[in-house]
Parts: sequence; C-alpha cells; structure tokens
Amino acid sequence: MGLKPVTTPDAEAVTIELSLDGEMVQAKEGVSLYDVIASTGKIVPAMCYHYTFDPFGSCGMCLVSQEGKKAPVRSCTAKATAGMVIRTDGEDLVLARKKAVEKHLSVHPLDCPVCDADGHCELQDMAFHHGVTNLENAKQKNIPEDTRSLVLDFNMNRCIACGECINICKDVQRIDALQFMKKGGFNQVVAKGDQPLDCEFCGDCLAVCPVGAITNKFSKYGYKPWQLKKTTTTCNYCGDGCQLYIETKDTEVVRVTSPLSWKNKWGDRTDTVNGHDGLCVRGRFGFQFIDSPARLLTPLIKTESGLQETPWIDALDFAAGRLAQVKAQYGPQAIAGLITARCTNEDLYVFQKFMRTVIGTNRIDSSARYGHINFVRALNRAVGVTRTMNTSEEINKAKAILIVGANITETNPVASLRVKAALGVYKAQTIVVDSAQTNIAKLASHPIMVNPGTEGLYVQGLVKSVIEQDFIDEEVTGLHPEALSAIKQAVNGISLDVVSARTGIDIAQIHETARIFAEASRSIIICGEGLLRQSGGYQHMLNLLDLAWLTGKLGRKGCGINTYTEEANEQGALDMGVAPEFLPGQVAFDDPSARERITQVWGGTFPAGDSHSHLMNILEGCRSGEIKALYLVGENPLETLPASVDVKGALANVDVLICQDPFLTETGKLAHIVFPASTFAEKDGTVTNQEGKVQFLRPALDSLGESVLDWHIMAGLAHGLGSPLGYETTHDIQQEIRNVLPGYYNLGRPSKIEPRLTHYFGNDFAQQVGERYRLPEKSGHQRQFGLRMIQLIYHSGKLSTHASGLMEISPNTNRLRMGPEDMKQLGLNSGERIRVTSDTGSLEMLVTEDVSLPPGSCAVPEHFNDPPVKDLMTCQIDPTTGVPYFKLTYVSIEKA
Amino acid sequence: MKHSMTPKQFFQTVLFGEIWEAMKVTWRHMFHKPMTFQYPREKRIIPDAHRGALCLLRYEDGKERCVGCDLCEAACPSRCIKVISEEDKSLPLERYASEFYIDITKCVFCGYCVEACPVNALAMTKMYEFSTHDKRTLLFDKKRLYDVGERHLSDAKKYLYAHNLEKEGDESRAYRYHFPESIKTVQSSTE
Repeated sequence: MGLKPVTTPDAEAVTIELSLDGEMVQAKEGVSLYDVIASTGKIVPAMCYHYTFDPFGSCGMCLVSQEGKKAPVRSCTAKATAGMVIRTDGEDLVLARKKAVEKHLSVHPLDCPVCDADGHCELQDMAFHHGVTNLENAKQKNIPEDTRSLVLDFNMNRCIACGECINICKDVQRIDALQFMKKGGFNQVVAKGDQPLDCEFCGDCLAVCPVGAITNKFSKYGYKPWQLKKTTTTCNYCGDGCQLYIETKDTEVVRVTSPLSWKNKWGDRTDTVNGHDGLCVRGRFGFQFIDSPARLLTPLIKTESGLQETPWIDALDFAAGRLAQVKAQYGPQAIAGLITARCTNEDLYVFQKFMRTVIGTNRIDSSARYGHINFVRALNRAVGVTRTMNTSEEINKAKAILIVGANITETNPVASLRVKAALGVYKAQTIVVDSAQTNIAKLASHPIMVNPGTEGLYVQGLVKSVIEQDFIDEEVTGLHPEALSAIKQAVNGISLDVVSARTGIDIAQIHETARIFAEASRSIIICGEGLLRQSGGYQHMLNLLDLAWLTGKLGRKGCGINTYTEEANEQGALDMGVAPEFLPGQVAFDDPSARERITQVWGGTFPAGDSHSHLMNILEGCRSGEIKALYLVGENPLETLPASVDVKGALANVDVLICQDPFLTETGKLAHIVFPASTFAEKDGTVTNQEGKVQFLRPALDSLGESVLDWHIMAGLAHGLGSPLGYETTHDIQQEIRNVLPGYYNLGRPSKIEPRLTHYFGNDFAQQVGERYRLPEKSGHQRQFGLRMIQLIYHSGKLSTHASGLMEISPNTNRLRMGPEDMKQLGLNSGERIRVTSDTGSLEMLVTEDVSLPPGSCAVPEHFNDPPVKDLMTCQIDPTTGVPYFKLTYVSIEKA
Repeated sequence: MKHSMTPKQFFQTVLFGEIWEAMKVTWRHMFHKPMTFQYPREKRIIPDAHRGALCLLRYEDGKERCVGCDLCEAACPSRCIKVISEEDKSLPLERYASEFYIDITKCVFCGYCVEACPVNALAMTKMYEFSTHDKRTLLFDKKRLYDVGERHLSDAKKYLYAHNLEKEGDESRAYRYHFPESIKTVQSSTE
C-alpha cells in the first residue's frame, strides 16, 4: 500500500478501516482509495494510473460509488478515510465508465490498423470490455504528428491526455522534459516549451503510454505486438543489470521493452525502492548492434593477403596448434589472456579455468581492472566485503548521500533513479563532489564543483574536517584507539587551507558537507570513476573507508560505500576469479585452503606465477618479449588505452594474437586469429550486477552466422590442446560453479555486513595511513586546462557505437566540450577549430560549449577514437592494484 | 429359400424392362436443353459473392490501399498470409506493406482476410484457375496480387459490394485512412 505523500521513510501512517463491497478492509490513512481497492485484488479500470507516481485523475475510469455521495467518485484521487463505505461493482458504475470510454473515443482517430499500439492498447481493451460500438458526435483532431525528436514521434490525435508520460518523467525520472500544452483546442503533450524533444530518451514515456500516442522511430510501423517473440534477459550495457524484453520477429530484433508498462500498473509506490522496471536509452534503443551488418560471421586467419575467412575446424586447430607450440617452446608463462567484463559468469569462469589449468598460467585479467578492482580490493582488505555494501532500498532511504566523482545519471541511469528518489521523495541531503556540474549535481542539495582531479583531495578534506569538528563516533572508534590516533596523526600533515585552495571550495563548505554526512543517521557513499579511475584511486577508496569508519557509518544498517560499474559483469568477473590476485570467490590466489578446495573440483594443479601479472604487466610482458601469445576475449586495449602505453608495440611483438569478439575491432585487425563470438542476446548464462544479484541471460536469437558462445570457443581450444574441459551445456558450468562457490546462484538477500577491522587496523595500518594523507605534489603542469574523458548517457564503452540507434541520437561530433567562460577568454565560438596540446601529443578538433563545465576544465566523450583524444593522455599505474589511470590530463588550447 | 416368380416379373426380366424404363428418360432428355457446358471452351456464370483468387486493390488515384496493418495475417485461419510492413520512405509517417505474400496452396478461400481488412484493400475475384506445373508459382507476392487486382478490378469491386463491405461516394472515403502530416512539413510550409 503506497505511502502517499511520502516524505520520510520513518513516518508510519495511522491504520484505518473502511468497508469495501461489504467487507471491512484495513488501510493506511491518506493513501489513495484506488490503492486500497487494488490491494484487495479487485481490479477497477484506470487509464491514467500507474503505481510509480501519484494519482493524476484525468481518465475518469476508476469510478466507484461512495455511500453518501450522489455521483460516483474517482477512486484514484480520493483519499482513504476511516468509515468509508465503498462499492466497486454495479450496473450504474459500468455505465458511468462506459460513458468515460466513449468520451475518450469520440476524439480518438480510430486508426488502430496502422497504430503501433494496436493489440497493446488500453483504450482498445476498455472499449471492448465496456462494449462501446457506436459513437455519437465523433470528431477528428487533425493534429500534425510531432516528428522533430530523434527518437520519439508524438501523434497527439491518439492522445487521451492521461498524463502518464509527463508524470513518469517528472516523478520517477525527475527530468521533467514533457508538459501539457493547449494547442488547436486540445490538450497536447509536447516537449518543454514546444521545442523538439531533446532529453535522455529513456523511453519510459513510451512504455507507459496506454495508447499509441508516443511511438518509437526505430521500430515504427514495423510490427504488431502479437507478432513479436518476447525473451526476458538482462541488459549488457552497465552494471545495473536491468531486466529487459528483447522482442524479435523472425530473425531480427524489432524493439526492446521492459516490465515497465501501462499493463503493470498495479503496485505499491514503495516497491520502486527496488527499481521501477524501466530502462535507459542504451537498453531501450541501443539494440541494433545485435544484428548489425558489422558482426563477424566466420573465423578469420591472418595470411599474407590479410585476414582470410576460414572454417571453424581449421581456425580452432590452427589456434590450438600455435598455443601448444608457444607453450612447448617458451613455457606456459609465455601465454596471457584478457577478457571483457561483458561476458557471462560462465564465460569468465571457463576462461580463467582454461588459462589456469589447460594453459597453466596465471596471467589473466579482465576489464574490471580499469577501476572496479580498486573498489573491491579496498573494501575486501578493510571490511571483507567484495561488492557494494547497500541494496537499492537502503540507498532509497538514506538520509545523506555523498556522491564522489560519479556521474551516475550518465553512467548508470537506472540505478541513479534510486538516488533521485532518495533526494526527491524522501528528501535526503545529497552532496555531489565532481569536477563538472552533472545532472545529479543539479538536483543535489549540496553540489560541490571541485577542480579537475581533486575529488580525492576533497575526501581527505572531509576526513580532516570530521576530525577538526569532532564528529568522531566514540563508540566505534573506541574499539581501535590506535587506528584513530594514527589517522589523527596522519591528517595533521594536511591543512584545510591547502585543500580549499586546490579544490576551489570554501572551508566552510567542506565543514558543512562533513557535518551533514556525519550527523545523518543513514549516510551512504557512492563513488565512481572520478575517484576510482583517477590517480591514487585505491588510496582514495581507503580514505573514504576512514571517513565512514570515523563517523561510525561502517557496518551500521543503512550506511555503506558503493560504486556503480560501467560494464555489465565487472562484479562477476572478480567473483569468478578472473584476476591474477583472485581465485573464484575472490579469495587470494595463494590462499592454500581455497586452492585445495578448488583443486578438488578441478582435479588439476595450480599454475605457478605471482599474483601481480595484471593488465598493465601483461602488456609490459608483451613488449619485453616475455609473453609470446595473447588471448583477448572481447577486449580491445588498443582503442582503450592511450598511445603512451604503446599497446600497438606490445601487440605487434607477440607471436600469436588471438582475438575473440562479435566485431572486428582495431585490435582484431592486428590479430593472427579472429574468432566470431555471440552477443549477449544470443547467449545463455548469468551475469552478476553491481549489487551482487545473479541474473539470467536467455538467448533471444540464434547466433548470427557462424558465431558461437565465448565458452564454446574456449572449450574448443581446450579440446585442441588435448585437455577437454568436458562441458556440454552452460548448465554443466553452472553446476561446477555451484560446487566451487556454494550458493552463488541463489544469493538472495545480500548477507549483513560485519566489518572485521581488527586485521585491517593491525599490521602496518599506522604507516600506510600516514602515506595516504599526503597532499599530492603540486603538479608542475604549465598547461591550463584539465582534459577529462567522460562517459555519455547514450553510450557504453565502444559496444554502443555499433548500435545505429544510439549513433543517431549521439553521433561522434569530434568536438571538445568547454565551459563558456573559458571559451570567452580564449575568444572561441562553438564550431571553431582548435589545437589541443598535451605533454604527449597534439591534435586539432572542433570546440563546443558545454555549460556544465567549470572554468579550467574541458571534456571529450571516451567512446569515439576519432580524433584520438585518448592518445593525449598520460597513463599512471597504481602501485598496489595496477589500475591504469588515464582519464585526466592537462592540455593547452589555442585557435587552430 | 425357394425362388418363385410371377408372370409379370418373368416378362420384365426376359424383355429387359429396366433398360426400357431408363431409355424412356434418355428419350425425354433428348428434347431438353443441355445442363452441362463445355469447359474450358464455355465458362460458367459465377455469382458476385464467389470466393476466388485474392487480390490487392488500389484507390482510383493509383495509391495502394493496403496500409500493412497485418490484420489479414491475424485473421487467416490457415496462416497463409505474410505481411511485412514499414514506414513509406517516400511518404514519411505513412505505413504500407513493403512485402505481401499469400500462399494459395494453403488458402482455404474463407474470405476472413477480406472481412478483416479495414481499408478494403483485399478482395476476392471470380478467378479460380490456378493449375500450374510449378507449385512455387502459387506463392503470390505483392506484385502478382496487384496484377490480379488490376485484371479483375470489376469482379473484385462486385465482391466487396456483394459482401456489403465497400460503399459508394462520400461513405467510401471513411475507409481511406488519412495519415497525419509531420509537424516539420506543416512548419516549413507556413514559413
């Protein structure tokens, strides 16, 4: 039963009783009468109602009769009060509802045959249920269709003015891109100000539209709902792991929908704490890469005349032969492998098992190395937790949320809705520390716009401020007085004046944010790439842990530290042990008891080798000639890492380069053998989202061409190398994972977090905490502007650039984004050519104005390599976790 | 069992009485007009409501009636219709069938598709001669269906009138679906 209006999760409404069709029903006072009726299982028709937002009351269908009132009342806008006597059924009510349907139909065009919603239309259903056959005084609106937006068409002739699109945009998405406008005598839904719609294009308005007034350009007129085969699977773009329906007709993907729909309208507003079942623009409109013509269809082998199509049997035989040759000649340590975290848990598990047992090397890594591992290793070390600490429900009900360096609305749009709900519905205090004015900062109570690259420093400032203002939780810190004094001593070295000067934030503001964070009963930290993927990410993560521990937020219910991941299965990649330092289950690689347990299942021996052969060391090994063969599964380091890392040189230096990918990437073009792999829509398996939930992928289509599942290729290679893995189906692998990691597939509710700090605070805590709280050297950069590589909401990695829909929405503009003040100072106009010079290179591109950027800062989307802005970056490698930091550099800009 | 025969039965048997009886009928029919006709040289007159070959129709101005709504496909009990619809590239916002197939070998000539058609684009004709050496030619595609429609236009129209589907004059205009214009063209024409 919804708590409407909800202002605080702590307040409990009074329970009342009312009579419903002769039965006494209990309800919370003040909730919508419609919710009370729906909670008893009775269905009263309603076209403008959806549980995710407050009742709107425009359709006039939810009529019920209330004792003491002559006319039927609209139950959605009526509040439940004690002693009401309500009747929901009866001839008179059916007639009244029929009148309402007739009213809507009389201005409806009845163009059902050409309407995309035909067969999935609430007005159609209602007309059928109420037996509307004849219409008096029907008239046509003759409104031209609004086709100005890139994604959505608005046919306002069909609109029934239910306002669901406007409400979900305002209340759930908190974007508020749509409004009603009276035009031509009719209330029409238009984009704000009657401009072409230019929003995040999450498509939730499309999903909840009960008629066909909002339609999708990418699948317009191409289908009727009853022709489509629906497959429930998990989105592969980011770590949110949204459930989506891939709807296919014959062999093509027609559209993507999600459980959010006008059909699923009954529910409890408070249910949305676990998600509103919607999608973002990437999930909903970025499906075209699945059957893209650019997909690889056959294996390729490099010959003198370039890559040649080869039958599978020859390609596998050739690859296995070359690997066996390298292994025999140089030993297993000369072979290394990298895998992308977009693969399923099963792919990842088989990959690490293949590399460790069949090949016999520990030189493996996944794309979780690009940042997520900083988070996991810091948490694992300090509190023994290997994933985010909070459920989405806890984030929803937080009192204070500290978001550091995470542009969550862009990177993880659906998860960010939980933060938006927290600050919008439950009025949480939100502190957003970022070097740009992000969308979440615009909504936040305390937006803190720091200078580029100083997010970590701000965290140090917060720790210092907490100590200065004495917000230390005596009870918790009293257990480890030596750790407290170590931290206190460590922060002596930094002064808030310097922090304030470097970050560009007033001391008073630092104090205030520290106070809000410390005083709130439930404080949650969300950190992102601005912290984890920038120089010193691992240290910053530990500093955040200090902050949480000092204020007593570590391990308290409803508090915790979280991150959102960029790729779908980064959490799963680490859980499956695809990192040199981890075995499956995220236990240390050299943990003898875990080794024994796993070898019992595997029946082999563990490879020798250290736990430091991570991504950057592997590339270094390739360059030095130590590594002779490299097996890349979906990884594309050439297009990801800056030129200063010299990936090209490294890849050119290996004798055998095997690339396995759905597309022919730049890295693939250098490869000796290229295997075509399936995309997520063709796979079965599981992925683990950032919360630790294991969710299923189900094949919506047969694999395109000759492409096969990733683990099939690994199993084929293992067979070719003479040690078959013995898997026949994905189920066999899941069975084995269950044996190695008991309970992995039914995690259910994440277990309670019990920080085990004694171990952490023992050893050399005092020494390393001293190293952590040091002001970074004032970098001697002469260059004026901090250039950041940012993620766009419309893209995810390089994968989304193969989705034609997303490329239409957000093409590569070849433009550098700069704040208006800087542009004015340099005398630049949008669209002018500029020269960008960093310490490692220089290039020419266009410039465009971006009002969200503060002075001294500029940004480029990281998804396109044209022009190769990433090559301007310098790359630092984290000494502890080996994470390459290359998202920020300093450049000078001049007119070209 | 003992067989006994009366004299009348005896004479009838000996003189082949049944034959004479039958020959009487033959004699009578020699003076009647013949009931059969010489197919294929002579053809039968077929009623307007006859369910023969399916065809697609155009409006008088040559525009395709079919809007690709897939309703015929949904109504077809033998699943012999396949419609592939899309947005008309030359006329944005208009839906049409880019491909249309009827598998005549599966068709049971029930006429449900014609009844389902909201724009009377489908009709049945008096054409019933499908015999062929190659079964593959019985998969009628969009071009073939429009050809049949052109050749048997009057029959198709008669079918629709006979089934009380098509109306004359102003009333017929209600069937023609008018797609909305794009706001872009409206705006550019006012500028």
